[in-house]
Amino acid sequence: MKNWFQSKSFRALLSSLLSILIGLLIGALLILLIGLTDQEIGLKGAWDGIRLVFLGVFSNGRNEAGLLTFGFNPVSMGNMFFRAMPLILTGLSVALAFKTGLFNIGAPGQYLAGTCATLFIALSIPTETVAPWLVWILAFLGGLLAGALWGSIPGLLKALLNINEVIACIMTNWIAANVVTWLFDISNLKNIAEGTKSGYIYKTTYNNVATPKLGLDKLFAGSQINGGILIAILLAIGAYIIINKTTFGYELKACGANRHAARYAGIQDRRNIVLSMTIAGAMAGAAGSLYYLSGNTEFFWSTYQSLPAVGFNGIAVALLAMNNPIGVIFSGCFMSLLNISGQQLTYLTAFNEYITDVIIAVIVYLSAFSLIIQLWLGNRGKKSVPRTEKAKAADADASTPVVPGKEE
Amino acid sequence: MGEASQYVIEMLHITKEFPGIKANDDITLQLKKGEIHALLGENGAGKSTLMSVLFGLYQPEQGEIRKDGVKVEISNPNDATALHIGMVHQHFKLVDVFTVLDNIILGAEDTRLGFLQKKSARQKVQELSDRYGLKVDLDAKIENITVGMQQRVEILKMLYRDNEILIFDEPTAVLTPQEIEELMHIMKGLAQEGKSILFISHKLNEIMEVSDRVTVLRKGKFIGTVNTSETSKAELSRMMVGRPVQLEVQKAPAKPGAVVLNVENLCVPSHLHKRNAVNNVSFSVREGEIVCIAGIDGNGQSEFVYGLTGLDKCSGGSITLCGKEISKATIRQRGENMSHIPEDRHKHGLVLDFSLEQNMVLQRFKEKQFQRAGFIKNDAVRQYAEMLIEQYDVRSGQGPITITRAMSGGNQQKAIIAREVDRNKPLIVAVQPTRGLDVGAIEYIHGQLVAERDKGKAVLLVSLELDEVMNLSDRILVMYEGEIVGEFDPKKVTVEELGMYMAGAKRQEKGGESA
Repeated sequence: MKNWFQSKSFRALLSSLLSILIGLLIGALLILLIGLTDQEIGLKGAWDGIRLVFLGVFSNGRNEAGLLTFGFNPVSMGNMFFRAMPLILTGLSVALAFKTGLFNIGAPGQYLAGTCATLFIALSIPTETVAPWLVWILAFLGGLLAGALWGSIPGLLKALLNINEVIACIMTNWIAANVVTWLFDISNLKNIAEGTKSGYIYKTTYNNVATPKLGLDKLFAGSQINGGILIAILLAIGAYIIINKTTFGYELKACGANRHAARYAGIQDRRNIVLSMTIAGAMAGAAGSLYYLSGNTEFFWSTYQSLPAVGFNGIAVALLAMNNPIGVIFSGCFMSLLNISGQQLTYLTAFNEYITDVIIAVIVYLSAFSLIIQLWLGNRGKKSVPRTEKAKAADADASTPVVPGKEE
Repeated sequence: MGEASQYVIEMLHITKEFPGIKANDDITLQLKKGEIHALLGENGAGKSTLMSVLFGLYQPEQGEIRKDGVKVEISNPNDATALHIGMVHQHFKLVDVFTVLDNIILGAEDTRLGFLQKKSARQKVQELSDRYGLKVDLDAKIENITVGMQQRVEILKMLYRDNEILIFDEPTAVLTPQEIEELMHIMKGLAQEGKSILFISHKLNEIMEVSDRVTVLRKGKFIGTVNTSETSKAELSRMMVGRPVQLEVQKAPAKPGAVVLNVENLCVPSHLHKRNAVNNVSFSVREGEIVCIAGIDGNGQSEFVYGLTGLDKCSGGSITLCGKEISKATIRQRGENMSHIPEDRHKHGLVLDFSLEQNMVLQRFKEKQFQRAGFIKNDAVRQYAEMLIEQYDVRSGQGPITITRAMSGGNQQKAIIAREVDRNKPLIVAVQPTRGLDVGAIEYIHGQLVAERDKGKAVLLVSLELDEVMNLSDRILVMYEGEIVGEFDPKKVTVEELGMYMAGAKRQEKGGESA
């Protein structure tokens, strides 16, 4: 029991859950304060808001008496998974790079590269001559490859010229934003059929290409969910296996934990840096690819002034999951759950989704402190050990266990 | 008062527990005024913990601390400073880009109206420096002065703060033989001036030379305090390790066989300056012999090893290992015939955040034995690690799954030795394999290297410790400023003679005759 509590992964999980709880409580507190200071909202309105912060995804709207009702809501639940899909993948992208000691802040650019390649392929190959499922596969692989290519650029710069990957990633992000805008601007994929909107690209369904629903739409009737979430989960599991079970994952982790020792052991650290960034890019590319292959979402092509938030949110997802690929599945779902809660707040109360932005901000902030929280958890039960002396204490800890019979 | 004031600091019956172990178990240490008191013990014996208690970093569960016979509470380092207790840490706490003077006054600056009063500080430091013979250049930057001088700065820092009790934590680990000599001299001078010195070490030679009394700890327990004049090295090492220790390496004469490694005119560029760090080095190592490269730190030994093992590129010359030219080969290719016990076990030797078992297969995880179709065979790795741990007596908290960062330095090194020796390659390159280790571990590692030699391995040892060089090697090469300046038979050369070559005062002409 004690051992179980001391185990690193358990402590990691606990500290993430603690971050989430504190974030939600602060959100609730905020709502309470607003309720107390605003006559029109009052305590009753605040209580509605607080319940929605915690249970938004189970909200079924208001009944005839104007009271909130809760229960299984297939639309909210399905949409939660649908929106979790790109978050899981960008989270995976950040987490994988981090295992190799690299901070992939380039997920937004890789996401755009994937989106761009996917949309071009999905909309340009005529489905009259090529089977739609084949176009789908080509478009998905194209998105994966484009993301990989975009991710490999900072990787190569880091490996060959020792240029900090954060700087290279930020630059490739904006290059991607501009190149994508330009490519769509000169393309004939701009949605002119529906004259009411401007600035959008056709949905892939325009060319009869869309991710199959795989029966998930029956389970979550009325929602946007499709098979993409399963692909995201499979990729996360695959990443977990690669990182933890294979020689390749061992190499990546060795490079991340101690590049010098990895080199000493004959591991090609440069090659691994490039590969790690390439795989990370592929994941972020897959996020963009699958999101737009769902066929129900339009891409706003004039994107040169902004980067997709889902790319940056991947950092939060990875942080909250402590870079564990399996954990990313759950933290991705949680982030999109908050998103749904925010929507419910907007629909049903005087509050709006910005409350959940505050909650996410607090959680991300606390996640960054997760190591400190873990230390704090680890020290509970131990006598408090001053931090500077930790190493020495560990030294004394480990070397003293007495082997019976060896002492005298 | 009479009797009480004989001791300036007394730590009585100190017990300090960490979860699962007693780091200090009823330890008593009494420091007389004006004496040099050595604290001796293996790694993990509890020396650091005891000093942390004295410094207020830990609170003991039992026991008390007295200053001049009066009980005192030390609950944080500021209390220790107020009691005039000062410490020179093993790794210096200096600001590299500050001058010597700035470093000395840092944290104890004299100010008037918020302005630094450097003039009076300079005067005081200069006086101290003259009085104790601590030669430093007050205006030089720390990054530009030698390690020996940096240590003198640390000592001046303590004196500047009027400390009466000076703690030296393994002060000689980073010094050259000449600098050690000088430090011993300084310490004696300080004691004569009435300072009381606690000298933490596990080097018996130094303790015998400089200390008045010795307190020995073993596995957290107090073993005894003895007068240095009434004891011997053998006695002290027996107290420290708990059994008689072989201080001299026992080995039969070498039986050198075929050439394993041949280096011709090897050059390795320096990262610090434009010249070569290693210049036209040529020698060979044969089966069944230990060849040692001796020299003062920073004369190209590290760069030579980097060039040899592939961590750095060579700029010229050739390396032939087992008949193959490898000067352009990758690290992995070179590793097929070479084990490498690296100089810096934390930087190169181990991935500290990996478990012990993961570190044990650092080079070998791709071998058939440990993987199938790219998947690591965890059972095989576990089994192999357990075998090595058992065979080489590597001790750790949780066996194969211990994170290596949590292991003691000695056992980390043992793990590396186990891994490298067990790879069973014709050439073993061992760079300062016993650095920072205690007598027991050193004895063990020396024994392993000799055993490998006797199995017909070629061993190339790079060491800064002259004792080790003289004890272990069958042939000695002295490296000075990147060149081999002499080759010696350890039985026919004296330490003094080697020292002359190491310092660059003498060199042999190529061909072998003394100049």
